[in-house]
Amino acid sequence: MSRDRLVGRRLPTYTFVVEAGKVAEFAAAVLADDPVHFDAGAAAETGYDGVVAPPTFSAAAQSWGRPAGDGGLELDLRRVLAGGAEWEYRAPIVAGDTLTVTGEIVSVERKSGRRGGMTLITRENRFVNQRDDLALVVRSTLIELDDAPADKGDEA
Amino acid sequence: MIDQIAERTFGPITRTDIVRYAGAGGDFNPIHHDEVFATAAGYPSVFAHGLLTAGVLSTFVADWLGLANLRRFSVRYVDQVWPGDSLVTRGEVVSDDGERITARLTVHVAGADPRLVLTGEAEGQR
Repeated sequence: MSRDRLVGRRLPTYTFVVEAGKVAEFAAAVLADDPVHFDAGAAAETGYDGVVAPPTFSAAAQSWGRPAGDGGLELDLRRVLAGGAEWEYRAPIVAGDTLTVTGEIVSVERKSGRRGGMTLITRENRFVNQRDDLALVVRSTLIELDDAPADKGDEA
Repeated sequence: MIDQIAERTFGPITRTDIVRYAGAGGDFNPIHHDEVFATAAGYPSVFAHGLLTAGVLSTFVADWLGLANLRRFSVRYVDQVWPGDSLVTRGEVVSDDGERITARLTVHVAGADPRLVLTGEAEGQR
């Protein structure tokens, strides 16, 4: 199951409109209580043009904004784990923004670990706002296990 | 004044918290909400999205270093978070030159023998 050919593959570009309700919903889901996520007045006092997205809000854009599917990776969800992620913040993301998101697969690595053989697939997504400012760069790694825990008959 | 070491506990994380994150984040991988699917895949129960734990850690970091000051945040997932787990988020400043502050981050599941579930780093601007 060689996936090396995926390196450099561009993911479909999409746009995502940042809505105040979605920002508040996401903030609540990550147990945030800072009013700048919920209250436009509090956000304005802090100098934002709208309620401001929490640091990992890109997750919502990537799920809700991206075209359906996994970009042709054909992942078996029983064998997929999240490896890690990195966010680089360049400009705030606030309600009312329209983000254009471009992405590409930047690396594919083979490794062996506690759970046996695995493939690490790293994607980079760049979020540019309606003013053409690069607001955010996100790199995230998916781990595809060779065998699902159930196939091995031992503790995951 | 930023504390050199800061810590905060969240939770316990419930199945409802996990479902709330599934909806907010748009990740409906059934391994996180469908007990039948999760046990058939070999897990003892559903477990939290890695990004839920990362998001909770980012909430702690934003409150500690200041949301507007955050320049970089990274996480590496170490182990699963199960329903009922309480999360202890912790940050420690490793460098501070007066302009940039770098912190090492961990999330442990609370208990007599705390279990490391996530490590991370944050960089903030002074």
